Amino acid sequence: MKRLLLLLLLLLLITACAPWMQGRGLYESPKHSFTLDIPQKWMRLNTDKHLLISRDGPFLQYVLVQERHFDQPFRHTKKRFQRGMLPQEAAEVILDEISSDRSVFNFSVIENTPATVNRYEGFKIVFKYRNKDGLGFKTIYYGVIMGERFYSIRYNAAERYYFEKDLQTFEGVLNTFTITGAHAA
Amino acid sequence: MRYFFLLLILCSLIAGCLTTSLPPVTEDFGLEDDEKRLWQRSKEEQRVLNNSGLVYRDNEIEDYLNKIAGNLQTPEILARIPFRIIVIKNPYLNAFAFPNGVIYIHTGILARMDNEAQLATLLAHEMTHCTHRHALRAFRDRKNKAIDLAAVQESQIGCDGAVDLLALLGSTGCMAAVTGYSREFETEADMVGIRLVLQAGYDPNEAPKIFEHLTKELAEEKLREPFFFGTHPKLQDRIENYRNFLDTRYQGKRTGTKNSEVFLTKLHKVILDNAFLDLKAGRFSTAQRGAKKYLKTKPNDPRAYYLLGEISRQRKKQNDTDRAKAYYKKALSIEPSYPDPLRAIGLLYYKEGKKTLAKRSFESYLSLSPHAPDRAYIKQYLAQCNEKKGS
Repeated sequence: MKRLLLLLLLLLLITACAPWMQGRGLYESPKHSFTLDIPQKWMRLNTDKHLLISRDGPFLQYVLVQERHFDQPFRHTKKRFQRGMLPQEAAEVILDEISSDRSVFNFSVIENTPATVNRYEGFKIVFKYRNKDGLGFKTIYYGVIMGERFYSIRYNAAERYYFEKDLQTFEGVLNTFTITGAHAA
Repeated sequence: MRYFFLLLILCSLIAGCLTTSLPPVTEDFGLEDDEKRLWQRSKEEQRVLNNSGLVYRDNEIEDYLNKIAGNLQTPEILARIPFRIIVIKNPYLNAFAFPNGVIYIHTGILARMDNEAQLATLLAHEMTHCTHRHALRAFRDRKNKAIDLAAVQESQIGCDGAVDLLALLGSTGCMAAVTGYSREFETEADMVGIRLVLQAGYDPNEAPKIFEHLTKELAEEKLREPFFFGTHPKLQDRIENYRNFLDTRYQGKRTGTKNSEVFLTKLHKVILDNAFLDLKAGRFSTAQRGAKKYLKTKPNDPRAYYLLGEISRQRKKQNDTDRAKAYYKKALSIEPSYPDPLRAIGLLYYKEGKKTLAKRSFESYLSLSPHAPDRAYIKQYLAQCNEKKGS
């Protein structure tokens, strides 16, 4: 009996700490600031810091949703978001953050345009880069400023094969992305 | 039996230990087996780095740096180690040497220097790491002590900027650039380096100034001791080491060339390009200092005024908007067909609600740069300027 209880406890611990979990259906962020639909067969990383979903593993493709307060510093640039920033200026900060990252090689911007994410005015950046091992990745990055918060949803995938393959799925996810935080209009 | 095993262990330990006491490179120098592997590994890591898009490509600047490096060593040494200097687009102050003589220098440290004597000090230091085989000696030392390099790398994670380099470099480069060498090797590189600087006829008083630039950077960026040039000994100690060395060994012989003018003429492009990198990194004060330093050499270059305008526009301190406008106007007064200040000044007017002025600037910008990558944004602003005007 004691052994069975121990086994059960161990099982509970293992499942509770599972890094990836099934995430199909409506997802609501822990701070109730955004929601979106996680597609079928995609897994969600079990963390409260951001939403990371992937079907074949983040090295091949992922969708990452982040929310950051203006006070939160970036890792590679000392620039900050500021109140009243235009979407173009916010895109500039994001591009500087990414291009200042020394682990991002051969970085090139393909597109930087104003964009509407559902009803929110923001920007869309498409860029390519290589990692240290020479593998090419392509990213679509949407950003929206709402009050003193910045919301981003990005799709990153291996440039060969995977990017095109899951692009439509990402667009489906994007269409369900809703900001529900206090600043959402 | 027990003694036999002990003896066996002792023998294997002795056999396993490689000597770390190696002579410097001379004309009859030959690579040892593990040294060959280290050189090969270096080449592989350099291939990654050279194809990363991070190398600052400018033949004239590379030729100049390689010429200075060549003057610091004898032809015999140059025949044994094929030194090559490569510049990396990185605003942080760093330089590192691979054991095969390939030395990488960040634009950040080049932009901060004042003259050729300081450059020679940096190159001589890095070249000494190669001629005195510090990578091999450190490699053997770590191997003998059975310290996993990964553990050393792990200990450096807390260093500012080190994580980026860890991601970028392989283990050989990492050892040189991030973890640095021991106190003994760094001191040897400083002291042998200063002799080379003196032999080449440079003013040795300029040598400690490199460390003064670093000390200033630390204070400004509120950083801890950097990994640059290794972590040991501390910067202040090294400044003192140089001064003591010059006082005791070269008393009365402390003059030489600085070649400030040649240096700034050759490297002015790096100074401006690095200031733009500093702006990207959000290091506004450093970027501003770089732009102003550049203007001393090229006082009529509109790009420097545009950069100063961008620093003010993005920094947004008190009166920065007015300052930014003044810099953009200055840039345009020098070169009226320069599109970037028109876009930037248009953004300022647009945010202030001065739609007519904004419209005029944006229209001029698009007429000068019809395929501008941000034209979609500009067209949106123009549409809104027209809307407001009509309403």
